[in-house]
Amino acid sequence: MAAPPPIEKSLIQLNDVSKFYGEVLGVNKINLAIPPGITSLVGPNGSGKTTLMNLITGLLQPTRGSIEVCGMTPEDPETFFRNVGYCTQFDSYPKGFTGYDFVYSFLRLFGWDHAECEQRAWRAIDRVNLREAASRKIAGYSKGMRQRIRLAQAISHDPRVLILDEPLNGLDPLVRAETIALFREFSGEGRHVIISSHVLHEVDIISDQVILMSSGYIVAEGQIKGVRSEIEEHPMQVLIRCDRPQALASRIFESNNVVEAKVHGDGGGLLIKTRNADEFYLMMNRIAMNGIMVETVAPVDDDVQSLYEYLIDDGGGGGGSKS
Amino acid sequence: MNPVWLKQISAVLRLEIKKSFFARRGLWIYFLALIPVLIWGGHWMVMRYKAERMHTHAQASPGVTREKLLSIKQGMTTAEVEAILGHPASSRTVTRRNGTEFKYWTYSDGTTTRNITFRDGAVQRLNTEHAACDLQEDTVIFAGIFQFFYLRLAIFFGCMFVFMNLFRGEILDRSLHYYFLAPIRRDVLVVGKYLAGLVATTVIFCLSTIAQWTIFVLHFDPINRDAYLQQNNGFSHLLSYVGVTALACLGYGSVFLAAGILIRNPLITAATVLIWESINGILPAALRQISVIYYLKSLCPVEIPMQQGVPPPVALLAVNVDNAPPIVAVLGLLALSAAVVFISTRRIKRMEINYSTDN
Ligand SMILES: Nc1ncnc2c1ncn2[C@@H]1O[C@H](COP(=O)(O)OP(=O)(O)OP(=O)(O)O)[C@@H](O)[C@H]1O
Ligand SMILES: [Mg+2]
Repeated sequence: MAAPPPIEKSLIQLNDVSKFYGEVLGVNKINLAIPPGITSLVGPNGSGKTTLMNLITGLLQPTRGSIEVCGMTPEDPETFFRNVGYCTQFDSYPKGFTGYDFVYSFLRLFGWDHAECEQRAWRAIDRVNLREAASRKIAGYSKGMRQRIRLAQAISHDPRVLILDEPLNGLDPLVRAETIALFREFSGEGRHVIISSHVLHEVDIISDQVILMSSGYIVAEGQIKGVRSEIEEHPMQVLIRCDRPQALASRIFESNNVVEAKVHGDGGGLLIKTRNADEFYLMMNRIAMNGIMVETVAPVDDDVQSLYEYLIDDGGGGGGSKS
Repeated sequence: MNPVWLKQISAVLRLEIKKSFFARRGLWIYFLALIPVLIWGGHWMVMRYKAERMHTHAQASPGVTREKLLSIKQGMTTAEVEAILGHPASSRTVTRRNGTEFKYWTYSDGTTTRNITFRDGAVQRLNTEHAACDLQEDTVIFAGIFQFFYLRLAIFFGCMFVFMNLFRGEILDRSLHYYFLAPIRRDVLVVGKYLAGLVATTVIFCLSTIAQWTIFVLHFDPINRDAYLQQNNGFSHLLSYVGVTALACLGYGSVFLAAGILIRNPLITAATVLIWESINGILPAALRQISVIYYLKSLCPVEIPMQQGVPPPVALLAVNVDNAPPIVAVLGLLALSAAVVFISTRRIKRMEINYSTDN
């Protein structure tokens, strides 16, 4: 991949940005200066992550404040979107598109000719390992495949700023690892990679910077290492959807990362509690390769909520933004 | 001009033209476009069937002439009629329960047919049919169907569906951000989508206009056909009708493109525009010019005469208080459409992707 263009202004800057949906608060008084590298926006549902990303990319207009991305604004889409790729949370696609069409047609809008678009489209599709499925209709894709084709679209024009809304959602452990490697590679070239997640465990090790959000405000910002140790004290609850929960339970108890495991009420999954999410995810990778059909691995939301309360009340930045 | 624009517009056309031609739930547009064709096709079949029947009847009652046919009067007896016209080409007798006897006789000379009803042996009712169409009358009927049905309803609603869907449809499908995240200026996107809608509607509706006119010409007998094509300027009518069709797509297209961007509720939009266009005839001159139908009416080649006794609402649709000269009408419509498209390109810059609240 070509090196990004020289960076004269290298910060994503938000100055006192607020967004209200009528009376409803989206985000409030956001001040940020994000340097290149991997930055994670972390917060529970409704905390304003998507709102913030949509504001940065001009899909929403701020009610107050101003935003600049490396000196560019979406007012000038010709420049802006050649440099910014956004993988949205919108899980909808133009009718009848195959995965390839989705990426290719997007590139055609750049004004590039067929050969260039074709080449770039395949390169992006290969990077997310979707070549076999690329000629099938997106309507028949699984959740994870749709997530990946959107990722392919976002990176297809080789942007220097990559914004991804919950890009790890719905990915199985293997693909998740590949995707994280892709982010690392991107950010290693001096680019911005901004990802959002409601699971701190899933992003904190890979992030250069973490921004914690809650109810539209930034509650903590910076390197998260200090908070990590506290998180490990607080067990996280995870729901694993798989075909043989009992078998999985016995496998899982061989590891000492898991404090508790019980079969989910509907018999199609296993609920576990762990103190070490990283180890746990690594272990899941091995199990996934060992014959048990694991469909999804997702933190239980109630539990995430309690983690946030825990963090924000006792451990985090104490409610104030410190940009 | 910046060639990147052109490439981007053609990329938008690539995506949009197919969508405009084969929109989901949009097949009824083809049906609307087809209705006048079916009407004229049906009319043609009926006339051919009639002519064939007359021909058989004429052969079955030789010696019948037009004068003889017209000399039959009410009150004549069966014997008197038979004395003038000979044996009927077809006959049927029905006796009612109360004893009254009805006879139905038919004679034809090949171009005129008389159906005679006898009651108890005396002519009670006479009914005359002609094989040839009335050129003048049919030309006016063509103009009437074109103005009242085709322009005001078929093209109107066809354009409404296609052009309002350009943006609204994508908001409902939650796919508009696909465009908004590409490095294409939003005004270029508007123009590209507008052109795509224009290609689809113009092709569909102009083809239908041509088909209507062709069947209309074919349905005449050779003498009337020649009269229509040569003395009545049939070909210039065709050109005018096709031109008006294309301009209608252009004009209504721009209005509904803007409506799809500015206004959320399609029903309110449709009703407002429809009413505005309908009362056009009674508006003051300055307001009258802010409407599509005003220019289109001015360009239609055949005036529709309003006879006494036409109910006022219909007369209202047809009155052409002042016809704009053709060049003014064409330029006026182009200017109106350009202004409306321009407003759309301004407004789209502030559009937000906010799918959940837009439904
Ligand atoms: N279109 C909208 N209209 C009204 N309120 C909205 C709209 N979109 C978001 N909100 C509100 O703004 C707040 C922030 O929502 P946002 O979608 O940004 O959260 P999020 O962090 O992305 O959540 P999630 O993890 O569920 O994706 C929420 O309170 C939400 O209810
Ligand atoms: Mg979100």
